[in-house]
Amino acid sequence: MKGLRQALVIALISVLTGATTQAQDATEIMKNSHLAYYYAGDDGLAEVNMKLIDKNGKVRDREFSMLRLDIEEGGNQKYYTYFRKPSDVSRLSFMVHKSADGNDKRWIYVPAVDLIKPISADDKNSSFVGSDFTYEDVSGRHWTEDEHKLIGEQELDGKPVYVIESVPKQEYKGFARKVSYIDKAGLLPLKEEYFDKKGTLVRLFHADRVDTIEGILTVTLRTMEDVKKGSKTTVEFASIDYNLGLTDDIFTERYLKNPPRQFVK
Amino acid sequence: MMRQLALFLAGLLMISAAPAPAQVTFDGFLQGLYGGRLDKNNPTATEQTASETRLQLRVQHTGASGEFFGRLDFVFDGADTASYDWELREGYLKFRLGSRFDFKVGRQVLTWGTGDLIFINDVFAKDYRSFFVGRDDQYLKEPQNALRSEYYSPLGELTLVWSPRFEPNRLPTGDRLSYYNPFVPGIVGTGLSPLYYFDPPQPEPEFKNAEIAARLSRDIGGFNVSLYAYHGFYKNPMGAYVVMVDNAPQFVPYYPRLNVFGASARGTLAGGVLWTEGGYLDSRDDRDGKSPLVPNSSVTGLLGFERQVATNLTANIQWQLDYMTDYDKFSAQQPQGVFVRDEVRHLLTSRITKLAMSENLTLSAFGFYSPTDEDIYVRLSAAYKYTDEITIAAGGNLFAGRHENTDFGQFQKNDNVYLKLTYNY
Repeated sequence: MKGLRQALVIALISVLTGATTQAQDATEIMKNSHLAYYYAGDDGLAEVNMKLIDKNGKVRDREFSMLRLDIEEGGNQKYYTYFRKPSDVSRLSFMVHKSADGNDKRWIYVPAVDLIKPISADDKNSSFVGSDFTYEDVSGRHWTEDEHKLIGEQELDGKPVYVIESVPKQEYKGFARKVSYIDKAGLLPLKEEYFDKKGTLVRLFHADRVDTIEGILTVTLRTMEDVKKGSKTTVEFASIDYNLGLTDDIFTERYLKNPPRQFVK
Repeated sequence: MMRQLALFLAGLLMISAAPAPAQVTFDGFLQGLYGGRLDKNNPTATEQTASETRLQLRVQHTGASGEFFGRLDFVFDGADTASYDWELREGYLKFRLGSRFDFKVGRQVLTWGTGDLIFINDVFAKDYRSFFVGRDDQYLKEPQNALRSEYYSPLGELTLVWSPRFEPNRLPTGDRLSYYNPFVPGIVGTGLSPLYYFDPPQPEPEFKNAEIAARLSRDIGGFNVSLYAYHGFYKNPMGAYVVMVDNAPQFVPYYPRLNVFGASARGTLAGGVLWTEGGYLDSRDDRDGKSPLVPNSSVTGLLGFERQVATNLTANIQWQLDYMTDYDKFSAQQPQGVFVRDEVRHLLTSRITKLAMSENLTLSAFGFYSPTDEDIYVRLSAAYKYTDEITIAAGGNLFAGRHENTDFGQFQKNDNVYLKLTYNY
């Protein structure tokens, strides 16, 4: 009965959406998915536990707080990260001013030497703190940088999803083709497959747990697998809060040096 | 030392009295560092450049109105004669007054300026004894007792640092690392004579001998622009005065008085980071360059650029110029037979850092080269994080110079390699 209903829905959607509008729809879906995933609320504070698991199963832990402020929906954002673990980077803080034009700025503060250092942020594909997530995975690749095509609709783990193929408009190191499985209900990406130029699957993203936090659907446990290396990284939100009323001044060198203790204990 | 301990204990007491223990964190590391020299003809007394076990305890308490942070090191040193020592590396209170003032009071590490291992306006104390034998980077910065106040306004940020007591750089003393002594003249160490142990007298701990440093910063067109001023002393004992002992003149090294005025700018450009900094070193004890025993004033500036050249590979390059005022007087006063620096000294540096194996392996090379002084200093290191807790590192410090009396040339017999094991807890 369920299968029949689903087939009917798919048939209905196929009838209602012509081929020409499909690309637009796909772009619209990706845009809304991007906003739901990277721009939830006006700001947010997450307590993050990250596990880096190498191909031999060896685990490394990262624990940090991450503050985010949206300057404009779908546009500029500011991020502040304060590390607790491992102990050799404890109290280290890190700040990103993400710019929609691609000129991100990054700073690091090393408390042991009281040093603030801007770091060159040319390569968004470099790993975030040694994990299988890249900087871009953390703050998002803008949807306008890729061509999107709806290539199917199906069920994934019991949830109806759009299947969307994205191809970078300009040659891109991160992937040659990406297939996203977007939850129709909440528009969050539940799965992403990244392919290289040869068509080989290189990375695999999976949303393992989705919770409703303060009325906002949130991926609270996610995994990125590096298929080539055989490693994977899980990110779990131990807690998350939205709409804290964060202000612009928190994302400055002042707070990089003196962590905002009302948010970061 | 007792005062340091008292400060640390006061901090601990504050923590134990705190009602919310969840805001207290303890961590640190246990580390073994072993270094051997490559040049056996060094005039030092010790065979090893390092043989030490170090325990670092860190404690932090964050409360509603402020925070305490303490960092305490215990060291067993076996390179010389076996000895125990401890040092309070940091022990400070940080708090905010109103919405615009931040304070940091106590023993602390201070850094500013833009250079990568070149310091112009950063006249805070450095520890080259640690830097040259493979201790962690954090040991290059030496703590000092200070009151730091920061004032933030929409127009910019003003920082004032007051250090009640002068804190000199820690330089090679001759027992583990040899150095150039201009009164010999030559490269000396305690292996030649215990008299070559280098321990110059410091300015008296009087109110007028306090150090004051100030910085004014703001953002201009995406660049962080700063002005600096410092009032205090040369951090190296670059001056000398003469005393008569048994009717014979004797030279006593000392720390001449110094002012520094400077500026810097740093920002992102062309996919990388660009920085420039300049300063005027006002040698207060020899403003007109008359005395041969006190350094002349100088003007110095640097330009640097860093960018990621490939995935996980970052490189930078710096160029520094140092112009000595009253050079003619200076060069005329120099004794025969020693190398006399150029009026303009050039220094080029480059750092290359490669991360590999999911950032668990860090390879780094840093080179200093002065074409005018004709000397080189190269720092190499490889560090592998076996687990989150255990890091194994190896490295080397290599010096070369045509002359014995240049900044790096004087250390040419101190080439060393080291092995370092760290357990982070």
